[in-house]
Amino acid sequence: MTRYAMAVDLDLCQGCRGCMVACKVENNTVEGNFWMYVFRFEAGTYPDTKITFLPRPCQHCDNAPCVKVCPVGARFKREDGLVLTDADRCIGCRYCELACPYGVNYFNWQKPEKAQYAIVDWRDESIESVTGGLIPPYKNPDLDELWGDEQRRTAGGGHAKGVMEKCTFCVHRVEKGLEPACVDSCPTNALVFGDLDDPDTPMSRYLRENRTWQLLEEAGTRPRVYYVGGTPPTRHQTEIERPKATV
Amino acid sequence: MPETFLGMPEITRRGFVKGSAVAAGTAVVASTFLFKTLDGVAVAESVAAQGAVEDFIATTCWIGKQDCGMIARRIDGRVVKFEGNPTNPRNVGTLCPKGHAQIQAVYDPNRVKWPLIRTNEKGVTGEWRRASWDEALDLVAEKVNEVRARNPKLVLWQKGRSKAKDFYDDAFVKSIGATKIGHGAFCSDAGYRALEYTLGPHAVLHPDFRYCDYMLSWGWNITGAGGNKFCWLTWPRHMVKARERGMKITHLDPRLRSAGPFADTWLPIRPGTDLAMAMALCRELIAHGYLDRPYLTTYTNAPMLVKSDGMILKTTVGEGEEAEEIGLVWDEASGAAVPFGDAESPALEGEFEVEGEKVKPGFQLFIEHVDAYTPEFAAEITGLTADQIRRVADEFGSHAKIGATIVVDGVEVPYRPVGIMAYHMTQQDLGFQTARAITMVPMLVGAVGAAGGQMVDFTWKIHKNYAKFEKIKVEDPPYDFQLKNSKYFPINTGHPGIVAQTMIDPDRWGVEEIPEVAILHMVNPLASFPSRPEYLKSYMKFKFVVDINPWLSETADYFADVVLPAATIEKYEGPTSATDQYIDAVTMRIPPMEPMFESRGEIDIYMDLTERMGVLYGEGGYLSIVNKELKLTGTEFELPLDQKPEVRHIFDQWAKGQGIEEGVAYFEDPNHGVYIKGPMKPAEIYGYVTEVPFGGVIHRLYGESLLDAQRQMIEKGAEKIYWQDYTAFPTWRPQTMDSSPSEYEFVLLSYHQIEHKQTRTSFIPMLAELAPGAPLDMNPASAARLGLREGDTVTVESHNAITGETRRLTTSLTLIESIRPDTVAMPHHFGMWTHPQNEGQGPSANEIYFTGEGYTSSTADQTFHVKVKVTKGGDA
Amino acid sequence: MKVEKSLPQGVGKFTPGWIVFIAVAMVVLIIGVLAYLYEANMGLIVTGMANIGTQGGATWGLYVVMVEYFIGVSLAGIVLVAFAHVFDIKALRAISRLALLLTTCSLMVGLLAVLIDLGTPIRGIINMILYVRPQSPFFGTFTLVAVGVLLSSLMYLYLDGRRDAAYLADIDSGLRWYHRLWAAGYGDTQAEQERHRRTMFWLSILIVPFVIVALSTEGLVFGIQVGRPGWFGALQAPDFIILAAASGLANLIVLTAIVRRVLKDDSTLIGPAVFKWLGGLLLAATAAAVYLQIVELVTMLYATPGNERLLADALLRGPYAWIFWSGLFLVVFGLTLLVTQAARRQWSLGVLIIASVAISTSVVAERYLTVIPSQTHGMMLPYEPGSYFPTWVEFAVVAGMFALGALLIGLFMKVFPIIPLDGKRAEQEVLVDA
Ligand SMILES: Nc1nc2c(c(=O)[nH]1)N[C@H]1C(S)=C(S)[C@@H](COP(=O)(O)OP(=O)(O)OC[C@H]3O[C@@H](n4cnc5c(=O)[nH]c(N)nc54)[C@H](O)[C@@H]3O)O[C@H]1N2
Ligand SMILES: Nc1nc2c(c(=O)[nH]1)N[C@H]1C(S)=C(S)[C@@H](COP(=O)(O)OP(=O)(O)OC[C@H]3O[C@@H](n4cnc5c(=O)[nH]c(N)nc54)[C@H](O)[C@@H]3O)O[C@H]1N2
Ligand code: SF4
Ligand code: SF4
Ligand code: SF4
Ligand code: SF4
Ligand code: SF4
Ligand SMILES: [Mo]
Repeated sequence: MTRYAMAVDLDLCQGCRGCMVACKVENNTVEGNFWMYVFRFEAGTYPDTKITFLPRPCQHCDNAPCVKVCPVGARFKREDGLVLTDADRCIGCRYCELACPYGVNYFNWQKPEKAQYAIVDWRDESIESVTGGLIPPYKNPDLDELWGDEQRRTAGGGHAKGVMEKCTFCVHRVEKGLEPACVDSCPTNALVFGDLDDPDTPMSRYLRENRTWQLLEEAGTRPRVYYVGGTPPTRHQTEIERPKATV
Repeated sequence: MPETFLGMPEITRRGFVKGSAVAAGTAVVASTFLFKTLDGVAVAESVAAQGAVEDFIATTCWIGKQDCGMIARRIDGRVVKFEGNPTNPRNVGTLCPKGHAQIQAVYDPNRVKWPLIRTNEKGVTGEWRRASWDEALDLVAEKVNEVRARNPKLVLWQKGRSKAKDFYDDAFVKSIGATKIGHGAFCSDAGYRALEYTLGPHAVLHPDFRYCDYMLSWGWNITGAGGNKFCWLTWPRHMVKARERGMKITHLDPRLRSAGPFADTWLPIRPGTDLAMAMALCRELIAHGYLDRPYLTTYTNAPMLVKSDGMILKTTVGEGEEAEEIGLVWDEASGAAVPFGDAESPALEGEFEVEGEKVKPGFQLFIEHVDAYTPEFAAEITGLTADQIRRVADEFGSHAKIGATIVVDGVEVPYRPVGIMAYHMTQQDLGFQTARAITMVPMLVGAVGAAGGQMVDFTWKIHKNYAKFEKIKVEDPPYDFQLKNSKYFPINTGHPGIVAQTMIDPDRWGVEEIPEVAILHMVNPLASFPSRPEYLKSYMKFKFVVDINPWLSETADYFADVVLPAATIEKYEGPTSATDQYIDAVTMRIPPMEPMFESRGEIDIYMDLTERMGVLYGEGGYLSIVNKELKLTGTEFELPLDQKPEVRHIFDQWAKGQGIEEGVAYFEDPNHGVYIKGPMKPAEIYGYVTEVPFGGVIHRLYGESLLDAQRQMIEKGAEKIYWQDYTAFPTWRPQTMDSSPSEYEFVLLSYHQIEHKQTRTSFIPMLAELAPGAPLDMNPASAARLGLREGDTVTVESHNAITGETRRLTTSLTLIESIRPDTVAMPHHFGMWTHPQNEGQGPSANEIYFTGEGYTSSTADQTFHVKVKVTKGGDA
Repeated sequence: MKVEKSLPQGVGKFTPGWIVFIAVAMVVLIIGVLAYLYEANMGLIVTGMANIGTQGGATWGLYVVMVEYFIGVSLAGIVLVAFAHVFDIKALRAISRLALLLTTCSLMVGLLAVLIDLGTPIRGIINMILYVRPQSPFFGTFTLVAVGVLLSSLMYLYLDGRRDAAYLADIDSGLRWYHRLWAAGYGDTQAEQERHRRTMFWLSILIVPFVIVALSTEGLVFGIQVGRPGWFGALQAPDFIILAAASGLANLIVLTAIVRRVLKDDSTLIGPAVFKWLGGLLLAATAAAVYLQIVELVTMLYATPGNERLLADALLRGPYAWIFWSGLFLVVFGLTLLVTQAARRQWSLGVLIIASVAISTSVVAERYLTVIPSQTHGMMLPYEPGSYFPTWVEFAVVAGMFALGALLIGLFMKVFPIIPLDGKRAEQEVLVDA
């Protein structure tokens, strides 16, 4: 069996937020939605201060509260561990978002085309002549496909008004044998992804060779994301450099 | 499908009449309206099944300065994503946020779509009419030729932060005989001058991360910018690997944010005081005997005997053509002064008498010079504690392993695993001398050019300036408009701000001719460079300005007569080194798609322009210079001089000339994209083991010719403010800004952000989302004292200590603990207005920085510091 | 001269006052509907909601507050009637239909609010049928509350009204068909009366625990969320019930007073005993609510540093303080009024209404504080606190909900007597000029 997991090495993370943009371009997420989010924290008082970074994708929990509360089974966990949202089934009740202790869910408050960086007029004639009117112009066709044994619409293409979305562990890439976009792009290789059940994957090796911890272990969610180095976040940290995050 | 209220497909009249089955259809309409696609209703198809063609092409990042290798994924010729090219040593398959986000820039409808010709007066926001390429190019060629006919040097070709290899713009400049200026001291050229002077290569400091154990991150924006040579990604990759090995980092910076979590120790140094810090470190290293005497005596002028007038005691060796002046050193073995290089044991300390004249080795003078820089003295200046300074010196000295060697690729190399990363330390009042001072720290322990130690360039190639600086010329007016060899800036870093000033008031500077035409290429002075008022005045004096730019730059908005739309990534550009310092490789930018709109690559534009100007063909023409620059001259791949080639063909010839059979196709192939030449050899990297060690030059610890230049400047009547820093050793003096009234209590500095590149990204929506604008960072303690709170609108007023002028900007306040309480900081990158996305992004520190006396110093250095006061309120 | 029976309590007669009332309600409802259509077209973007976490918003907003409020309000009516039946409290008989009506209408509006809040409402209904997962709390809302409570209250209303319907079915009016339908062959024979009484008794016995369980799921919606500090806990369900009782009774008092006023001639039907009962019950519920509030306040004051502390700060001195403190003030104020009246054994209708309005408003505030702050200030990761404020669209839609409820009650009053006619038949016969 395949059991996918991700490791985040905080000793390597530069807080560059490249993973956030990689995810956005790959998954065509709209403005203000960060399936991958990188906290930048500051703690202490001058001159004894500390700055730390913390990337936060969906934790793809084994005991996922978001799955439990979904009234229609739109949020489900696959056998390989991916926690996905079926965009064709979701009724937009937003229970999963409230149930998730990590704040990783993003609801589509409006038509995604309208939320796609509306500052830019993607309907510009000379652009449409190249893109055929797609919004965004870099629209990824993989996202419209059905994936997995279940053949459900689970990749980012679910972007539709009134429907929930979140990090998919890049199901459409993983199924093609590629690494998730954020992992693939990380300049310092702070993100690792792979099969836990295969002892030879970098992922398994990573877990063997490092001491790991998990986000909000106390919530009992049993995440599939393992952190290496650093320390769990606390309320003594203040978030600095928050992105503009409007809906 | 057009949509109406409720998002229902519009029911056309015909459709309505025909569709009597509206009721039946309601279910269908409702299902698309409210369900979008219910289970099973929509059957998605795979890319292939959708009938789309997917392919990949290699290219390089267009935003950053290190041209990371990228693979573009295309669907039916439309680029949908850029990913890192795994074979490129610089980025190894990874990308930074800008690398990804540039896809939005490519498709930005706010690019300049077609040539524009100005229809209103200059000095205000431009009004434009669309022109054909023919009309625009003809107009530019005519205007430029008019001036060229009189004096081609009065055609100013100006470029900012360069990218790729500049063969094609050099060919343009040379073929039309124009004057070329770059960003100069607005980036770090003062630092380049300092190292050309001190060590020889055209370089700035960076450590050998492969072996380094202890690094001073000296104003290195580790997590935010690039440092030297690279844009961002490569150094940090090396750094995290070095840290995994156990390398320790001490971070000297008024802000901790730049080092993020990577500083093992943070020393929040007061801005602009780095020279004093470096001299104190030198003093402590000497005091504790952390000295590499063999290095100092063999490769530096430290043992050379200096007379009481400050000049080195020299003798002539060789005869006739071969004759060469060489300094004398005191040989302890023979007890006599002998030519440098001939001594068995050259003295570094002491006082000697040679031919009745009292002389001291340069190093003795250095000891005496740095003696005043006690840790206590430096602590006072730098705002650090004496203990902190001692500790750094001790750590640096003890980690240096003086005397050790290591075998690298079979070659034994001196091993000094201590190094410094310092690039923008030249962006301060004492910039040039600060860069020299910081270089002296690793020099003392022999770490320069050692394994694990102080690297400079990627190779130890000696720049022609090294020899030039042996004798610095100070001439009488008239000067050229850059003030080269002038009594003001005898070593001239190249400073667009000076051009602006000489244009405004040529008489004051003894300048007779000022440029008449400007061709702007990848530069936006009005937004990127300090002191906007100078540009506003000087650019009005140009008779004709053309901007070659994918966007309407602020400079073009006010001053361009013609704007020619350049392509972004959709063009051929290169070749570019792809080395990461350890692997040698070359790559180039390939258009991943047709240029958007009517934009064109610069090479196309320059070929068309030179053709119209009559300098494309023939010997000395554009093509012949391209041949030379690409080393095609005399080879079978030489471009014929009588016909205009396709740009792709030029690169094809170049690639074939490199021995790559497939030609440019090799670089287009997503499996390649990069031509790897192999590992860099120790003899290329380490100065100690190059063919002739250190390229055969003597490192200048003692700056004799600087002192000489000072005397000439005084003699020519230059004011003290110009000559004061031309000293043989870096010498601390209070900064100009320190004499601003005490109410201007903060130093304002600016920094680069990882999400943005200079002024060319703030309008890319995904980046603007991550780093939305330019707040003022302040320590909460200072804010509390001033009664200011997070998010407050504040007015920042700067003061020019020389002229008394004040300037103001308004922005919002951000509180951060990790900054000195006497320092405030703003991110660079903003303050623009031509793009709709610029709305609300806030101002640029450049609006209130100063150039000119006191702020442009020494070698035409530019400080990015100014004293400011911060008050609540203001109109944002 | 001919003796003719006419419809009682103004049923079937359209007075100018009633028309104005209906017109106003219609206008508000239409505005609400238009606002909703706008929202359906644009998406929930037109509300003040945003995602929790990085967007610093609340993903459940005023609509869910109203769901909680309306479903809470619905509880009191049906329980009260059941209570009256079981213990045979005659005094409450007069308002039994009114109470059931309040339950039914507020439930319908509450459930409508659930749909209004969905991202894809129609798909919501269909997928709930196709794919429903009984383990989810939403299932509770939809099945137990929607189907269970709503159907039982409707059935209750129906059975309870059959006798009157049978009586009205004898009267010649345009509504006769309707009354006949309702009466459905009920003949008011001795046997029928007895059967009716027994059914009502057992129904009442059964309905109380069922309704309490069903409505507790509404509290559990919050109580089982591990990810939300301030929500996760066992008190959510009892808290919900107590507040539900208080708000339900308060609304019933106001509604009863209005009906009493409107019915003028028939107003004597609702005697002071009714208000005494209602006032007493409201006093008990409010006292319990205040007790819970104080327990909560004390817990908050001692909240340990961390997420609960942040939340407590937000409530006690942060952005929600004004709601928290005014809510607390209102409920204590209401309680004080009730206590003084009870002590003096003298119930003034005016004061009772003031107390009821105060208490009902405080429950809205309390519901708001249950739903919203845990989202904006209850993140377990150190996100910056967020904020939420409803937009005009949400206010308009909510106003529409109230209007719809009022409209339903208003319309009901014109088709059926709002006060049971039991034993008063003879008095309803009046002389009419031929
Ligand atoms: N306050 C403050 N000022 C600074 C700095 C700072 O830290 N603080 N940093 C300084 C430094 S280090 C530097 S290097 C300078 C850089 O200063 P510049 O080189 O002037 O700035 P850029 O923003 O890189 O580029 C300017 C213009 O190039 C255009 N451009 C972008 N791509 C292309 C292209 O492919 N072709 C053509 N033809 N044009 C293109 C952009 O649209 C823009 O108008 O700024 C300096 N200014
Ligand atoms: N993301 C990104 N990367 C870039 C660029 C970009 O715009 N964006 N630009 C590229 C270019 S052109 C360049 S030149 C490089 C620049 O690369 P860096 O030199 O690394 O970048 P800066 O942001 O200028 O960093 C200057 C640091 O020096 C600190 N500092 C300021 N004044 C003083 C002082 O007086 N003393 C000391 N000790 N520290 C001081 C500042 O706080 C800041 O942290 O980056 C390159 N890479
Ligand atoms: S891309 Fe890598 S280094 Fe950058 S923020 Fe993400 S995890 Fe950290
Ligand atoms: S992180 Fe949240 S959304 Fe992701 S699986 Fe866990 S509970 Fe669900
Ligand atoms: S919003 Fe969608 S995925 Fe989330 S719980 Fe509701 S139906 Fe399930
Ligand atoms: S795994 Fe994919 S979807 Fe998840 S954060 Fe990374 S890029 Fe985004
Ligand atoms: S580091 Fe520079 S060159 Fe590399 S992807 Fe980022 S912006 Fe481009
Ligand atoms: Mo630069």
